[in-house]
Amino acid sequence: MSQMAPNLPSNVEAQQEKSSGPWKEAWRSFKKNKIALVGAIIVAFFIILALFGPLIAPQGINEQQLSERLKAPSTDHWFGTDDFGRDIFSRIVHGARLSLMVGFLSVIGSVVIGSALGIIAGYYGRFIDAIISRIFDILLAFPSILLAIAIVSVLGPSLTNALIAIAIINIPNFGRLIRSKVLSIKQEEYIIAAKAIGMSDFRLLFAHILPNSMTPVIVQGTLAIATAIIEAAALGFLGLGAQAPQPEWGKMLSDARVYLVNAPWTMIFPGLAIMLTVLGFNLMGDGLRDALDPKMKN
Amino acid sequence: MKKKRLLSLGLLLVLVLSTILAACSSDKKDDATGNKDSGDSKKEKILVFGRGGDSVSLDPITVTDGESFKVTQNVFETLINFGEQDTKLQPNLATKWEASEDGLTYTFELQEGVKFHDGTDFNAEAVVKNFERWMSGDAEKFPYFASMFGGFKGDKEAVIKEVKADGDYKVVITLNRAQAPFLKNLAMSPFGIASPTAFEKEGDKFGDNPVGTGPFKFVSWKRNDSVTIEKNKDYWKEGLPKLDKVIFRSIPDNSARLNALNTGEIDLADGIIPSDAASIQSNSKLQIFERPSMNVGYLGLTVTRPPFDNVKVRQAVNHAIDKQAIIDAFFEGKAEIAKNPMPSVIEGYNDDVKGYDYNPEKAKALLKEAGYDGKQIELWAMPVPRPYMPDGQKVAEAIQKNLADVGMKSKIVSYEWATYLDKAAKGEADAFLLGWTGDNGDADNFLYTLLDESNIGSNNYTFFKNKETHKLLLEAQTETDEAKRNELYKKAQVILAEEAPWVPLAHSTPLLAGKADIVDFKPHPTGSDILSKIDFK
Repeated sequence: MSQMAPNLPSNVEAQQEKSSGPWKEAWRSFKKNKIALVGAIIVAFFIILALFGPLIAPQGINEQQLSERLKAPSTDHWFGTDDFGRDIFSRIVHGARLSLMVGFLSVIGSVVIGSALGIIAGYYGRFIDAIISRIFDILLAFPSILLAIAIVSVLGPSLTNALIAIAIINIPNFGRLIRSKVLSIKQEEYIIAAKAIGMSDFRLLFAHILPNSMTPVIVQGTLAIATAIIEAAALGFLGLGAQAPQPEWGKMLSDARVYLVNAPWTMIFPGLAIMLTVLGFNLMGDGLRDALDPKMKN
Repeated sequence: MKKKRLLSLGLLLVLVLSTILAACSSDKKDDATGNKDSGDSKKEKILVFGRGGDSVSLDPITVTDGESFKVTQNVFETLINFGEQDTKLQPNLATKWEASEDGLTYTFELQEGVKFHDGTDFNAEAVVKNFERWMSGDAEKFPYFASMFGGFKGDKEAVIKEVKADGDYKVVITLNRAQAPFLKNLAMSPFGIASPTAFEKEGDKFGDNPVGTGPFKFVSWKRNDSVTIEKNKDYWKEGLPKLDKVIFRSIPDNSARLNALNTGEIDLADGIIPSDAASIQSNSKLQIFERPSMNVGYLGLTVTRPPFDNVKVRQAVNHAIDKQAIIDAFFEGKAEIAKNPMPSVIEGYNDDVKGYDYNPEKAKALLKEAGYDGKQIELWAMPVPRPYMPDGQKVAEAIQKNLADVGMKSKIVSYEWATYLDKAAKGEADAFLLGWTGDNGDADNFLYTLLDESNIGSNNYTFFKNKETHKLLLEAQTETDEAKRNELYKKAQVILAEEAPWVPLAHSTPLLAGKADIVDFKPHPTGSDILSKIDFK
């Protein structure tokens, strides 16, 4: 007890210092989290690769040189060459753009549609809620990859369709998240007050309820990007995502599995690329959760 | 209330019982398909043959693909057989045959005492019924019959006029016009003699339950998984077959199939990629079998679809593709560069045809001359490994790049195997990879079957039509003087090279691998192996 007492004033001070806004506060606590920072750095690294890929990569995506096929890593080809004699390093750098694009766009898609449905379900309740929630239940009843395969086989195999499929399978996750958040915010006094002064539903929803239910979505979104990248790679691996000669990592893995014994580098590097990006997003997502979730604070 | 409880108890009991029963039945199955080493008291000899694709149908007359024949070759028998590893004619269900002077009448003497698997007697009447069935069909139903014998009853170009029984064991076939490869044609797998009782009863469903006279009887067919055939104990050839059961399993993925062989899940695997040959040879538990080469792998250019309706574009594509690089990379050199639509082992091969050299510049110039508009084409790649092309997807990717280099954009498309063949036969592909393994070792079986206008809709997938080649090929069919006949084929090959409906790519040596204790397996150049002599040490 006697030790606690002197600490008290400094704690209070610290809290006063921090009270300069919730986002800044979150950033501060995120910064303190070393592991999350590592995640953020990895993510930033791959974003740079994606943005400046063509400048970084020594070769294009499909510069075949059959005489140079399956060459081990060397100074000419840092990651070796694949079965068409293409530079694997270049293809991985170009592939970053595809993977991140699928990750971001699919999550944005599912966040937008999921939020819209979730808000409507949560705010209006009753039978609208029942219908939307049952649709979510149905979507969630399928193993996600199976649903994605089904969607892609209807739309036809391509990276864009894989992106759409991944967006669709993630809709219920975000929808449910927002719905539960809306259900609790709906009861808050400021919402009731706004309603009482006659604010329109539309404004209420998009100016007050939505912004206040966004934090869990950001956390969930970051983690979902990681899952989306894996799912895109899985679809690519199954031949249902990216098509030749697109340098999508999952597709590269699948093309390389024949050479697992003879030329392991054709598998190792795309595999590492997938693993690192996913790890990056997961670490960053965990850090964000710690930083943004008020319940996690001590 | 009590009643309800009783009912639910009853239901529960049924459920439990059915679960137990289901478990039992699957146990049984495991035993049946189990490993031959499992120490069964009877020591059943089971051969599991892993292959790249499933059969399309088990009624051989309705199909043209090798995977179907691989099975039917063991269930059905033809009147005349090929040699063990060549295409010389040998007696089979017919013990003797004789042709009339003008080549229009053939008399066959049949083997006596043969029965179909369903107990029906094999005799002249059965043979006549088979021919009647074939001749009253159409190209849609029996595509190969149309290719090989010109057409059906009443068709102008039909080869066979009538088939009659002369006593119980003699059949006389009369032709409308002489056909030089007639006997060779009869020896082909599609013309296996089926039990008339069975096909009359089953109709279109005969392909699901085939009945022939062959060394093995049909047991079951699980689509896209396996076909099981078992020993025909009453087989008329003494001491054969050696095996008790053969299971054809389709494992489309090359490395998965090789893996299955390594783990002992299968005993014999075809479609071995050349790059794996070295590792198999160094494994003392396995052995490599080479199938004598008699095939061609090609890129077909559908001449009815733009831009390939223009001969210059087709020639340009021929110049654009680097065949040698493709062969080095994806056949590991286990293939010859192709310049004609048939391999050099076939009589009548024209070695004077120059073929198209790899010349991107010339290709570009030709495309420009043709006024090619840069339209993206669909490039179809086979979904399954074929003996004439171990990895169609990779070859397609290499071709895609070759085409891009000369300014032709392409999208690689693939369908499930049966769909692929069906769609390509309807002319829905712009450019497609495909190949052909000769079924009777005759030039006719390549040039006429694959590139004559009579076979549009069956095996001529490019829809190529040419008056001169049509004339030459028909003439060659009736020409019985070998030298003159070869001359006609040589002329046809010159025109075909000029018109370029294909890019002939390679003549490969297909590889198979099997367990080291397999003996007496001699792969047949046609790709359809009769497995009656194969045995385990």
